[in-house]
Amino acid sequence: MNLQRLITAILLMLAVVPPLVGADATKGEKLFALKLKSLFAQKCAACHGDDPEEIAGGFDMRSRQAMLKGGESYGEGVLIPGKGKKSFLYIATTRAEEGYEMPPKEAERLSKQQSLWIHDWINEGAPWPDDARIAEIQNKYAEGVTVATSGGLSDDWTNRRYESKHLWAYLPLNVEQVPAGVHPVDWFIDRKLKQIGLPPAGNANPRELTRRISFGLTGLPPDAAKTPSRAAEFERQFKNDPQEAVVRYASELMATSHYGEHFGRQWLDVARYADSAGFANDYARPNAWRYRDYVVRSFNDDKPYDEFVREQLAGDELDSNDPEQLIATGFLRMGPWEQTGMSVFRITRQQWLDDVTDSVGQTFLGHSLQCAKCHDHKFDPIPTRDYYRMTAVFSTTQFAERAAPFLKTENQVGFHQANTWTKAKIAAYTKQQQELNQQVSKRKKKETGNAKVGDNGLDPGDEASLARIRKNIARHNWELDKTKPIALAVYTGNTIVRNNVGNRLLAPADPWGKGYLEKDVILTGGDAYTHGDTVSPGPLSAAENLGAMPALAFPNGQGQRRLALANWIADRRNPLSARVMVNRVWSWHFGKGLAGNPNNFGATGKLPTHAALLDYLASWFMEHDWSVKNLNALILSSATYRRTSRHPNATELDTKYPQDDLYAAFQPRRLTAEEFRDAMLVTSGELNRQVGGIPCRPDINLEVAMQPRQVMGGTASVYEPDPLPIERNRRSIYAEKTRGLRDPFMEIFNQPGPDKSCELRETSTVAPQALTLFNAIEVQERALAFAGRMIKQDGDDAAIVNGTFELALGRSATTDEVKACLKHWERATQAEAGKKYEPQHYSSQVQRTVMAEKTGEPYNFIEILPAYENYVPDLQPSQTDARTRGLAQICLVIFNLNEFAYLD
Amino acid sequence: MNRPYNRFSPDRRDFLYGLGASLGSVALTSLLQADEAATDSPKPHHPPKAKRCIFLMMEGGPSHIDTFDPKPELSKRHLEEFSRGGEEQSAMSSGKRYFVKSPFEFVKAGESGADICSEWVHLKERVDDMCFFRGAHVESVNHPTACYHVNTGNRFGGDPGLGAWVNYGLGSVNDNLPGFVVLPRSSYPQGGAANWSNGFLPARFQGTPLRPEGSPILDLNPPPGVTRGQQRTNLDLLATLNKKHFANRPGRSDLEARLNSYELAYRMQTEVPDVLDMEGESEATLQMYGIGDAKTDAFGRKCLLARRLVEKGVRFVQAYAGNWDSHDYIQRAHGSLIRSVDRPIAALLKDLKERGLLKDTLVFFCGEFGRTPDNGLRGGGKSYGRDHNADAMAMWFAGGGTKAGHTIGATDEVGGKAVECVHHIRDVHVTLLHLLGLNDNQLTYYHAGRFKQLSQFGGQVIEELIG
Repeated sequence: MNLQRLITAILLMLAVVPPLVGADATKGEKLFALKLKSLFAQKCAACHGDDPEEIAGGFDMRSRQAMLKGGESYGEGVLIPGKGKKSFLYIATTRAEEGYEMPPKEAERLSKQQSLWIHDWINEGAPWPDDARIAEIQNKYAEGVTVATSGGLSDDWTNRRYESKHLWAYLPLNVEQVPAGVHPVDWFIDRKLKQIGLPPAGNANPRELTRRISFGLTGLPPDAAKTPSRAAEFERQFKNDPQEAVVRYASELMATSHYGEHFGRQWLDVARYADSAGFANDYARPNAWRYRDYVVRSFNDDKPYDEFVREQLAGDELDSNDPEQLIATGFLRMGPWEQTGMSVFRITRQQWLDDVTDSVGQTFLGHSLQCAKCHDHKFDPIPTRDYYRMTAVFSTTQFAERAAPFLKTENQVGFHQANTWTKAKIAAYTKQQQELNQQVSKRKKKETGNAKVGDNGLDPGDEASLARIRKNIARHNWELDKTKPIALAVYTGNTIVRNNVGNRLLAPADPWGKGYLEKDVILTGGDAYTHGDTVSPGPLSAAENLGAMPALAFPNGQGQRRLALANWIADRRNPLSARVMVNRVWSWHFGKGLAGNPNNFGATGKLPTHAALLDYLASWFMEHDWSVKNLNALILSSATYRRTSRHPNATELDTKYPQDDLYAAFQPRRLTAEEFRDAMLVTSGELNRQVGGIPCRPDINLEVAMQPRQVMGGTASVYEPDPLPIERNRRSIYAEKTRGLRDPFMEIFNQPGPDKSCELRETSTVAPQALTLFNAIEVQERALAFAGRMIKQDGDDAAIVNGTFELALGRSATTDEVKACLKHWERATQAEAGKKYEPQHYSSQVQRTVMAEKTGEPYNFIEILPAYENYVPDLQPSQTDARTRGLAQICLVIFNLNEFAYLD
Repeated sequence: MNRPYNRFSPDRRDFLYGLGASLGSVALTSLLQADEAATDSPKPHHPPKAKRCIFLMMEGGPSHIDTFDPKPELSKRHLEEFSRGGEEQSAMSSGKRYFVKSPFEFVKAGESGADICSEWVHLKERVDDMCFFRGAHVESVNHPTACYHVNTGNRFGGDPGLGAWVNYGLGSVNDNLPGFVVLPRSSYPQGGAANWSNGFLPARFQGTPLRPEGSPILDLNPPPGVTRGQQRTNLDLLATLNKKHFANRPGRSDLEARLNSYELAYRMQTEVPDVLDMEGESEATLQMYGIGDAKTDAFGRKCLLARRLVEKGVRFVQAYAGNWDSHDYIQRAHGSLIRSVDRPIAALLKDLKERGLLKDTLVFFCGEFGRTPDNGLRGGGKSYGRDHNADAMAMWFAGGGTKAGHTIGATDEVGGKAVECVHHIRDVHVTLLHLLGLNDNQLTYYHAGRFKQLSQFGGQVIEELIG
């Protein structure tokens, strides 16, 4: 069925059979029934009628009569039947009258066309047909499509019409037949190029392609250390058969665990992974890493996407005895959340329900649902009722850090010493605490009835320290859970009120014992205390109706509500699910989605540029077991993917098609923050390629690490890196991600904050990036290690220089480049020869200054830094000769090259 | 409407000002002048009363009851039992609670007779320039969410800060300076740098923190041992090696922007310290701000720097002081905090006025919430403090077209709740924008499916505050 026919069919299906229309409608009646009734409702009613108690400016728009009366300011001049141009109602919408621009919000302003409707309607006498007549007219003349949903808060909304083009995502897939022997991706892409007469660019050169494929699938540069280099082999194969060469290389890369790490990281951007809970306490989530590894594992195992969906939404309901299933539900706990003594549980509970509903909507259904929390969706066919049907799915979902034995596949390397630092930290705090307590007991007798700070025998600062120490001991104690067989998970049961959550939450033996079953109601205006209609768990009704899905049953009460939702999302007939995932995968390869907003397939998201291709891929994906690896192979085997980023008519392309969505050439991109760091570690030879496990703590900017970080009750402990290079120098995905303490390197290269779902990375170019890449010790150390690696290579200086280019850029250096570098090396070595570097000394304690709450004055305290007791730095200048340090300058420059930073 | 993004052209200022590039760079002027035609500075929506804003952010939540809103009734009820009703009970309000009086004396100051606690020795001389507002309230009683709310208009992090919106709306006055500078304490507030984020606005609108200790901007300088000469030769090699790559990729303005960003960064290394250098200020000025006195030095520097920055054309400066979170020992804690900011703030107001800047510089003082009239019975009622209160707060304005010498709105007899001229913080935001010539309803940015604005869904101008 083609799209047009389908829409027609749906129109027929949904339209009420038109009753006999009496006298033919006049132009004015039609304008009102078809345009203005909904326009007034949308743009004016909020201030001029929805709340009869508060009518702005006294102008009531609920009836013709009321409108004729006008308002406080313009009285009967507002609506003068027959005189559109003079009526203030019209004038206000043209924004000609200063101070009376209507609607007041610029973003809400009416189009010229809409203003003219009002003008013409008034000219026609401003007729106001009754509801029955309106229905008649609408049935006979209305354009656009009505959509059956679970029902809006008003009939106007329920019966409103949508431009059919905005409903694309809800319609069943429309799969075109692709001629045999043609690559489907190319067929769809080239069809459009042919239409506009733009020839596509040719193949990229194989060296560029190896980098593109390697970063694209693993987030790492090609392994140039292999001999003979894989890149060289690829080049040979590519000459014979480009498609086969790419497919072979791709499958090789997808067989490495680095594939899952890279795809996992991209999924975690959407899921908002972090190792801490955010907000005032920013407590550790010591077991979150198991969810991170679950995601990596799932991509590596090529878990069918429908299963991946079911497990993350309802793993516990599928099989609560399978640790993997419990770990998977960590997805539901990824958002920032906390319950402190200061907050009202009911509110924080609702915050989570809102958060998870919106997050599931964005992640799996390509819909931000937040808008429908307070009112029926302004643009999409999502009534508030649907929103609360979705939150009802989660209203029996409860937090627990559940027992979940370790799987064989989980990396437990380093468990035995994993808590060494934490324990040392606790021990150091405990010792300080004991000393302070001793002082208290010794001097307490001095306390008088007239209590003042310090009367317990402590200096004010020490008193603040006691509170700080107590808090940090509690914080670190919770962190010890990271090596325990516990999953950050959920269970299904009654809601138990928690006043203060500062420790592991256990699942009760009887989930339906304590607590209460939440009422599933519409919260009017989004207010947790204002109950509207009762609802039952359910999905997005528009997708069900427009997508012609059979209605799946959703249980109530103690039933498995999430499993029902998971099954509904993972259903092949769900029009959204496969499209959403396929579009994500496409965007990961091409830097943009076929539909431009991977988290928003609604009317406000960008329409798909190649809808037919998207549908084809979605269908293909499901037919091929929802396999992401298969999908990758399909996409990478296309000529579209292999194209060079340099189009022969680049200028024409840029000026005529600046939005660049034709895929005539490949869109180059900058490395992500993580890729940047990982690529430097690969190049310097320092990367520890261990997969999975508890989070590591790399070196970060020392000033940020030591900067006091306020948490509730005091100052959090200093950020201390892992003591050994092998522990620190792991892939960035494994770096501990604390919401309140971002690694400035990551942040500055556009790693998104973990509080909001990130549909696609952004790239900004700001001067401080240059400062970081040139000056940061973490980068300087990579350059020195790179030099240390190269200096040991055989061959003369020119060969060494060439080797650095091979390793870092995947190509040989040109003669000019070698020449320039040799000269630079010589000069830098001379400069370095005159310098003497002392071995870096690391103190295992630091004095910090913070403000004491009780005195409002700064105080100093000593914090013990156990990590620095046996800290082994990366290669240091003091350990190298001038020649190595000279070469390190070249390495540093190479890390800063556009060629290193960008993929063609 | 947002400006559309072109394939390869990051907005010019994205790289100039992200995190505060090119502070006061003279060389940069010429670089930018060449491009002046391309700079289309947005215009205010209506004639502004204020051209710039200094936001004194009193982190932790200063008590209105112990600063600018005296409650004699509390002295009468001191240590009488207090009870709070309603559904929204949190653990904070559990246990027995008692009214507690302010430990401070209050005076009527200035010709306007404004109420001010006598600890404000210097500020009480300036009350005739100030407009106190007692009607404001927020929603959240948790520090990070309340801080986000006051700073970004949204309780949850991730939205643009006030200064980001103002710069988005007005553009920069001085192309050599970032439009939004933050002067944080050495410990960042709860919620961290998201308090001055650009949110969904382009990166150039992000607040530029100038750190009070260590390197003012991270990695501003190379590690010890690396000389400036060495950096220069490294940059030259970088330029040489980049050249061929760039030549093969004509039209790639993203690559070109990146090349330029290195030269800018190099210049920043000398320019940033120049801006921070207070050398040119007279001894009298330094003294007036309390610089050199251990009690007032930290905030004195921030206030003086704020004046220097707005003088140079920075639109929006936010200076942090705190932590005002005095749950106990409010006498001691608030006492010493007041002393640490009193002289600097008074000096700032005086200095701005004498330089003719106060009339169009809006100074705004507030915390993330106010404090309760009640407390637990700490130290037998001797070491009491106050807890978090979202229903009333300490807030005042000066200059920038606000109603000098007035106190607007009121709280109830114990200071528990704003009851007169009551306005949600969003209305305060709308008013701040209004004074700066911006209409909150018109200052929108399309993101994630809708036009977003500072007030979230619109608010109203508090006319009573406008002079």
